Amino acid sequence: MDLLTNLFGRNREMRTALEQSRSRLYRMAFAWCHSAALADDLVQETLTKAIQKSAQLRDPQARDAWLFSILTNCYRDHFRRQRDMDDIDDVELIHDTTPESENSEQQIVTKVRLAITKLPEGQRQVVTLVDLEGFSYVEVATILDIPIGTVMSRLCRARTAMKALLLREFGEQAAPQGNNIRRIK
Amino acid sequence: MSNEQQFSDEYLNSFVDNELTIEEKSRVYITINQDETLNRRVCELRKMHDVVQLAYKNLPQPPGRPLPKKSSRLRHGAAAGLVFALGVLFSWLQLSDSTSTLHRDFGRTANSLVKRGIAMVSPSTLAPTTPDNPSSHVLADADPQVMKVLFHLSSGKPEHIKEVLDDAESLLQLYEKQKQPARVEIITNGQGLNLLLADRSPFPERVRQMQMRYSNLKFAACQNTMDKYSDLGIETRLLPDIMVIDSGVAQIIRLQQQGWVYIQV
Repeated sequence: MDLLTNLFGRNREMRTALEQSRSRLYRMAFAWCHSAALADDLVQETLTKAIQKSAQLRDPQARDAWLFSILTNCYRDHFRRQRDMDDIDDVELIHDTTPESENSEQQIVTKVRLAITKLPEGQRQVVTLVDLEGFSYVEVATILDIPIGTVMSRLCRARTAMKALLLREFGEQAAPQGNNIRRIK
Repeated sequence: MSNEQQFSDEYLNSFVDNELTIEEKSRVYITINQDETLNRRVCELRKMHDVVQLAYKNLPQPPGRPLPKKSSRLRHGAAAGLVFALGVLFSWLQLSDSTSTLHRDFGRTANSLVKRGIAMVSPSTLAPTTPDNPSSHVLADADPQVMKVLFHLSSGKPEHIKEVLDDAESLLQLYEKQKQPARVEIITNGQGLNLLLADRSPFPERVRQMQMRYSNLKFAACQNTMDKYSDLGIETRLLPDIMVIDSGVAQIIRLQQQGWVYIQV
């Protein structure tokens, strides 16, 4: 009886945990690809694989790292499938601009997202895993399957590059604009 | 060796991301207090960390989808298992009527224990709290030899609360060992206020022990957050000897202007 209770209880617990992780996975996928539709597809694929492979998860404490490593693989596979059409390094990731971007917080958000899209893919993944999800360097190394030293150097380069990009963006914004008046016939 | 050389960018990133040991962090805290350039570098790294979080706070909503199901082969297997399990369960229930009685008794006993456990926390053991004057920092702040560190706690997660207590305690121990005069203040607002609430604190005894052990340590609760909690109908009775400040953010700015080192958890 205990065995059955454990089996059903564990399954229910897993589904609840997966449902609760959906928004966090979506946020991460969106931070990587900046496309709501693609991020949603990647999350659905991740959850499907997680359910199929749920027996592989031995330690429930490691569930988060396990889920994000599945997401990493789904993300990598997606661009591998697209290779004949688009190379990931050539993809120009765009950001949405809406009337809301008039207010200052939205401007910061837009500029930061733009700065993140300009980072190389490896750096973008490391900086978002650390800053958005609060994963330790060891966990990020496991998720991305890279050495911890690479995690540290990518993170360092990512933050330095972002600082430079944002300083430039906000510097340009603060500078007086001389070509605002245009003659229209 | 200058501090610029002593702390590489990678090392400071590790500091910001809480990857260093307590001793290593303590060394950085001490140096930051004496080195404006280093302080600025750490602030910039924290700012990068904060803006990334801000950038992905509000996202375009994905279309709501149900959680995927397992493949049909697996579903058939599960259904067969369920039928088998129900059969076993039915026969087991017939045999174990006395066991269920035992379970009911166990439930009643557990409830009774829980009630007794709650009753052990008596409101009468909690002393009243009086608001403190934030300007009392001015005298101590006038002495440049005094190390001044403020920890900002805005998270209610027990692991974060434990982390801030561990960090503050290790720093106080280090200063005590080095005979270095110091002041440490833990400012709580938002969910971080839970640390200091009598009904919600995960570590009330540890707070009391640290207050007894270190006279140079203060815990501060944000009045604005307490007002918000009250509006939501949440009890805001504080632990004994807690300083109440008008606003956590305003207090942080005040202390930073007076040269305090700011550590966010």
